[in-house]
Amino acid sequence: MGAVAAAWGSRRRLRYVAERRGFLATLLISPAVLVIGALVGAPLVLAAYLSFTDAQAGSLTGRWVGLANFRHALHDPIFRGALWHTFLFTVLSQMVVIVCAGLIAHALVRSFRGRWLIRFFILLPWAAPIALTAIGFLWFYDPQASIFNWFLIKLHIVDPAHVPNWLGTPKAAMSSIITVQAWRTIPFAVVIFIAGISSIPAEVDDAAAIDGATGLRKFWYVSLPLQLPIAMVAILFGIIFTATDMIVPFILTNGGPFNSTQVLTTYAFQTGINAGNIGEGAAIALFMLPVLALVTVGMLVFARRAEVT
Amino acid sequence: MKKGTRFSYAIAIPFAIILAFPFFWMAVTSFKPEAQVYDPKKVWSFDPTLANYGYLFHHTDYVRWLRNSSFVGLMVVLITLAVALPAGYALARLSGRVGRSLGVGIFLTYLVPPTLLFLPLSRVIAQYLHLSDRLWALVVVYPSFTIPFAIWLLMGFFKTIPQELEDAALVDGCSRLSSLVRIVFPISIPGILTVVIFTFSLVINEFVYAITFISSSDNRTLTVGVPTDLIRGDLFNWPGIMAAILIPSIPLALLYNAFLNRFIAGFTGGAFR
Amino acid sequence: MSESKLSRRELLKKAGAGAAAVGVSGAAAPFSFAGPMKFGNRQLKGDLSIIQWVHFVPAYDDWFDNTWVKQWGQTNDVQVKVEHINNTLLDTRAAAEVAAQSGHDLFFNLHPMASYEDQVINHASIVKEIEKKVGTYGLLGKQSTYNPKTKKYFAVSDNYVPDPVIWRRDLWNGVGEAPVTWDHVRKAAPKLKAAGHPIGIGQSQELDSNMALLAFMMCFGSFVQNAANRPTLNTKTTVDAVKFMAEIYKSEDAAIFGWNPASNNNYLYSGTASMILNAISATRTPEAQHLPFADDLSIWPIPHGPHGRLGLEHVMGCYSIWNFAQNKENAHQFLVDLCVNGKQATDASQLYNFPSFPGAYPFKQIRKAAAADTHKPRGKYTVLTTIAEQFTHNIGYPGTTNAAMDEVFSKYLIPQMFAQVSQGKMSAADSVSSINSQVKDIYAKWKERGKI
Repeated sequence: MGAVAAAWGSRRRLRYVAERRGFLATLLISPAVLVIGALVGAPLVLAAYLSFTDAQAGSLTGRWVGLANFRHALHDPIFRGALWHTFLFTVLSQMVVIVCAGLIAHALVRSFRGRWLIRFFILLPWAAPIALTAIGFLWFYDPQASIFNWFLIKLHIVDPAHVPNWLGTPKAAMSSIITVQAWRTIPFAVVIFIAGISSIPAEVDDAAAIDGATGLRKFWYVSLPLQLPIAMVAILFGIIFTATDMIVPFILTNGGPFNSTQVLTTYAFQTGINAGNIGEGAAIALFMLPVLALVTVGMLVFARRAEVT
Repeated sequence: MKKGTRFSYAIAIPFAIILAFPFFWMAVTSFKPEAQVYDPKKVWSFDPTLANYGYLFHHTDYVRWLRNSSFVGLMVVLITLAVALPAGYALARLSGRVGRSLGVGIFLTYLVPPTLLFLPLSRVIAQYLHLSDRLWALVVVYPSFTIPFAIWLLMGFFKTIPQELEDAALVDGCSRLSSLVRIVFPISIPGILTVVIFTFSLVINEFVYAITFISSSDNRTLTVGVPTDLIRGDLFNWPGIMAAILIPSIPLALLYNAFLNRFIAGFTGGAFR
Repeated sequence: MSESKLSRRELLKKAGAGAAAVGVSGAAAPFSFAGPMKFGNRQLKGDLSIIQWVHFVPAYDDWFDNTWVKQWGQTNDVQVKVEHINNTLLDTRAAAEVAAQSGHDLFFNLHPMASYEDQVINHASIVKEIEKKVGTYGLLGKQSTYNPKTKKYFAVSDNYVPDPVIWRRDLWNGVGEAPVTWDHVRKAAPKLKAAGHPIGIGQSQELDSNMALLAFMMCFGSFVQNAANRPTLNTKTTVDAVKFMAEIYKSEDAAIFGWNPASNNNYLYSGTASMILNAISATRTPEAQHLPFADDLSIWPIPHGPHGRLGLEHVMGCYSIWNFAQNKENAHQFLVDLCVNGKQATDASQLYNFPSFPGAYPFKQIRKAAAADTHKPRGKYTVLTTIAEQFTHNIGYPGTTNAAMDEVFSKYLIPQMFAQVSQGKMSAADSVSSINSQVKDIYAKWKERGKI
């Protein structure tokens, strides 16, 4: 082969090389790998290194302390709480998302009068910058001027003397941040679920009808399995966005009351940035990386299996 | 009314009301005089005013924040497409099994919590790129989280384009590269649109990098400008904040909605499969 | 800012061209190109960049940016660039600047950044220079910015803000009480609640709660650390203080657990709260907005407790110069001049800021200025000087403000200690002992690092 190629002119050879699959693939992928490597990989390695040091206050170097940061974190009751809250926050908010988005998506695949407007309303939460809408929710949850409380009082659901304190008690605060997180993720999930539903070929529907499957049975045995692979990706993105992004608890509760809504991201921030223990903060931030990686790989594999069958 | 349509209304209308309610209340608040927002007697019967919008446009750099955010958003969209289109194509088509694991690898970069990454990145921005306090700093950094997402989406789209189409082009004497540009990309417009919109919204949402890499008021983006200028210590300018959220949200939602049909076409085309 | 920079560059260019022309035309002043605006006697030049908060009193930023900085820049021929960010973002910004090893020449924060000690210059010479001009550094400032262990000034405080009790005289009179001691507060609380006007002391993960509760503990003789910066939280007095606050809470609104720093203000502005602990921005706003009860707001020192009347500063303005700052000399001079001119700053802040170098604006003079304030009841602000002089201490009193104390503060351990008891989740003794073990861990860590 090489000899034949050499016989052609060098220009020709270049062209030939460019046509080789492996080379072209490398050429096309390498910018992405470079960018991701430089902007995510390198900082991640540094963050991993920092988690084994006693680096302080913004500094990117420190004395090597081995696993001390991780040990210290595990010993810290706030950290243990944060692990549990992260789990709760992520799982519950995504469960709400799956149920709501599933229903909405099924309702929206049919065309009906006013669908455009309804879709616009449902998309709004995704269009608004969450860093700002979270501040907006601070206003909706305001202990004195909460509009939710106004409705609850007017509908005689609560007594004006005992209005809920949305951010003031552990359970209410956790529910509040879960609500906001679900609210902001639903539109994204709806869009992907709609895609999943409309990707089911019409023949499948017809076949199911002939077999006499209708309503819930059809949904459970026919539609659901077919949508699962796509739904899985929406769920996966939802889980990751929720577990790694701190903006909602950061703005709404700052981890309070008494650290009952402290999640790993906010606690890593408080420890690493506000309290000046970069090393420990990095350890906290990286703690869930392996767990999430396992979840991700597991779900991706599952999604592929489901797709094949 | 058909049973299916009834089901759609019964589900969609309540959900639309719940999801959009915060925006409705933002709109109401944005027309309230600042002195009346806390007044329990003025929950609905207030004296409507446009003063808060006037304040945004005349007494803050709101327009500049919008411009800066849009600039960064557009630049990042361009970079993301430039890098993710070829990579997504290659991963979908050209490298088989290796491509699949590389795809998962790229997905995994999403797991890195951004909370502390801004520290090492700020060193890169200041020491190696000399971009401190420039919008370009954000343009450089944001692709780190938009590219993986975009590759992942585009991979799915490319997989659905029949190989025969490309082969036909190859037979006609196109090189693989030019068949990519001439045949594959145009078919993938819905996918590209999807990427554009998701990328743009990810950029608009970003907050931590924006506050750490940008300090001068000239270069503030929306998510930095609003908390800095509309929260004055103990005083939140609630009507102003609400107006500031509404202004970009409504046109963006309209845009997303207009594209949603193509979105769905794109997804149906096979993202994630 | 960039516009003024441009225009100055242009001006310089023109001046340079002018000078060149003059130079060509004859033997005219060879130094004229050094800058058109030099009328001071100092020979600084170049740039200075400053980052600081958005001041709670807007008039202060007006004065700082448009009067003070401008004049100082012209006098010293320095191009000064000031940037303001929301105070809650200052920590993030500081960490990013250190990580980048580049940033602003003068970094302002609202609390002493003790954990950044290794990243900043020793500010001793600046302190010394200011002391030479206006007399000694106030004890509050020194305790907050000096590390006795390493003998280093890690910052210079230009101002602090007294933290009084702000209470509604009309409402308290209505129940026949006044917040003289914490016992009075405890007794009045249920009556005030019954009248529909509870008191509002936060127990949330935020600055105001942190400050109020730490000060409250001190009045009971409970301290996080002693004068030698060793942890001393686990005492019976701490348990008593926590129980006492839990009792006060019974007559408060549960919203106090979810408050943010603006919440107690709003609670007051809405006409509900009968008492809060906050700086005087909480009385300035009702005055500015002509709220109906503005004249009924009284300012008092923190109530007396079993251990006395011990308050804290509300916030503490501290400037630091990074090791890697580009214009250290200019920053040094700016800081000296700013502290020496504490009077102007205090006046511009409408008596919100108090100078950390008391000689810059003696209490007697501040008192006079406060007495001139025309808001009713007249002279209400004069008590601020008493509060500042006698009842304002640093975070970590009787020790110094250090990295360990800062971490206790940043992690909101004190509000947590109180809140979990007030909400009935834990007994006071258990709460104190569990928080104490975390505090001890933190102190052990910073001791090992040689910072305390």
